[in-house]
Amino acid sequence: MHVEFLGVPRQRAGISELEVQANTLGQLLGTLATQIPPLGEFIAVDRLHSSFIANLNGDQFISDPATPLVKDDRVLILSADAGG
Amino acid sequence: MPFGYHGRYLRIDVSTGTSEYVPLSEAILRQYLGGSGLGVKLLLDEGAAVMDPLAPEAPLVFAFSPLVGSPLTTSAKFAVVSKSPLTGRINDSLASSGFAIAGKACGCDAIVLVGRAAELSALVIDEAGVRMESAAEYRGATCRETETGLKARLGANYRVASIGPAGEHLVRYATISHDGRHAGRGGSGAVLGAKNVKAIALRGTHRAEWANPGELTTISKSLSKRSFGPATAKYRELGTATNLLTFNRFGALPTRNFQSGTFEEAASLSPEQLSTTRSRTRESCVSCTIGCEHIYSLGSGGVRVEYESLFALGSLCGVSDADAVLRASQRCDELGLDTISTGGTIAFAMECVERGWLDEPWLVFGSGDALLRAIDLIGSRQGIGNLLAEGSRRAADAIGHHSIDFAPQVKGLEIPGYEPRALQTMALGFAVGARGADHNRSGAYEVDFSDKVDRRHVTLDAVRHAIDTEDKAALMDSMIICKFLRGVFEDFHAEAAEMLRSVTGWDVNADELRETAKRIISAKRQFNLLAGWTPAEDTLPERFLSTPLPNDPDASLSRERLDSLVAEYHRQRGW
Ligand code: SF4
Repeated sequence: MHVEFLGVPRQRAGISELEVQANTLGQLLGTLATQIPPLGEFIAVDRLHSSFIANLNGDQFISDPATPLVKDDRVLILSADAGG
Repeated sequence: MPFGYHGRYLRIDVSTGTSEYVPLSEAILRQYLGGSGLGVKLLLDEGAAVMDPLAPEAPLVFAFSPLVGSPLTTSAKFAVVSKSPLTGRINDSLASSGFAIAGKACGCDAIVLVGRAAELSALVIDEAGVRMESAAEYRGATCRETETGLKARLGANYRVASIGPAGEHLVRYATISHDGRHAGRGGSGAVLGAKNVKAIALRGTHRAEWANPGELTTISKSLSKRSFGPATAKYRELGTATNLLTFNRFGALPTRNFQSGTFEEAASLSPEQLSTTRSRTRESCVSCTIGCEHIYSLGSGGVRVEYESLFALGSLCGVSDADAVLRASQRCDELGLDTISTGGTIAFAMECVERGWLDEPWLVFGSGDALLRAIDLIGSRQGIGNLLAEGSRRAADAIGHHSIDFAPQVKGLEIPGYEPRALQTMALGFAVGARGADHNRSGAYEVDFSDKVDRRHVTLDAVRHAIDTEDKAALMDSMIICKFLRGVFEDFHAEAAEMLRSVTGWDVNADELRETAKRIISAKRQFNLLAGWTPAEDTLPERFLSTPLPNDPDASLSRERLDSLVAEYHRQRGW
């Protein structure tokens, strides 16, 4: 599936998008922590730090590592705090 | 006198320059804490709800807090509280930073101003007492010029809050500025302008004692340490401006007067893009370990870039020229104008021009020149600026054609940069906000950016979450502590109680603070009821209830749904 980074995760990752293979959100995060070490600070095994959040296809925000993902999904990783 | 307080406020009649200290009981301080809470309580006692906010007798409160002056990070803040000349409802605006410390060092927990000075004046409070000095030489001066001038006259160790030309001209959304920061929303600058007070300069030597200094130091160190972690990374590393691309991605970036939730040229205003051609420095309020202020170079100076200014003067007006948007933001700072209401009112006027209802052909979406010209006209109340200085609601009333349906306001206060159809818990927060559409008194957007709700199809379950964010904001605004710190707390109420215990010595706990928050929200409602509030005000403009967002049919909010959310909110509040 396709991963998009926004805000601080984008800055840390140094890229805005990436293709990753994973069956669940937990797997995806584990892969990201390995592939992009600067993101590791925000990922504890298979979960995002509470200050960050994942979103599926621009619709649902997701946090359960068991959330299933399919090939054409787009997962967005962003700061949970939307304060302005 | 209770620890953490002086147990009195300073009431000044600027007509005569006379002043008196009025005692504040420990019970009142414990019930309302300080900041917004104490400010509202003092306004109720003064009978301000039924007064014309621009009349001489209308009080303007500068309220400090028990935490200000302590080593707790982000605590150097003050609240400016009055009846709003823009909404006719309660208005509490917060600003930072040295002015708050100096205010409390003047030996009081709040300063209440009434009256009207005979000439444009500076109010000076220092060890010698209270006096009025002429500020005639600063007529028409920017906030920064006034501050610099007064410090040169009085001494560099005075802390100065001032109004710009917009406040002098009673623009209904004029700000009060201190050190480049603004008590921005709702027009407190016009209230000070109506008192013929250009500036307030403070210097003091009083110290409030802490009940348990050792414990306070330990708590402060822990909080500072956590403030360097991931929870505040967004504010430190990119600033609030980073919201722009995120909101655009979610179709929640208000564009061209809320006609769209996406701005095709958003990238040109993003911090990532801005920093490719401009140098960037970071600043912070006094006593803050986060430092969320990102200053971008502009000409020979710099401008503080925040999401709300970028959205209001950028996408909302369809302007993608970053230079024009930064200049517009800088100009608002100089004139002392709230950027959200300025951008909202100009964007509304641009749509009216587009529809042929306003004969100002130059005022078109996308024009940076038009934006800058409109801002100057508003600040001086010249030409069309005289109408726009009244805000979008009054402008709509004058223009007619049912333009009120798309005037981007609630209770007269222009809507911040959160598209209500795409963020529907926030839509509720805007509708019921005591001071109007506001993202600082309700953090309901936090709920939309979580797995607690489906942001485009919220149900009644969202209401309790919205109430929680509103209560928490009331507490933070009264203690006072910066909201950008909120992510570091595991259990905010328990930690807040710990802070207050160490400062005041009270046996306060989390449950008491939950009650305190509700009391403060109720006091605001009581003020509004006295000022003439009716349930019909708790709504959104027709546009949001009858037109889905283009390109996102799911982002649709009916009147029925909003009404049911509002009714449930009132029910859960017990109103
Ligand atoms: S986080 Fe920003 S607004 Fe809050 S106290 Fe620090 S510098 Fe000021």
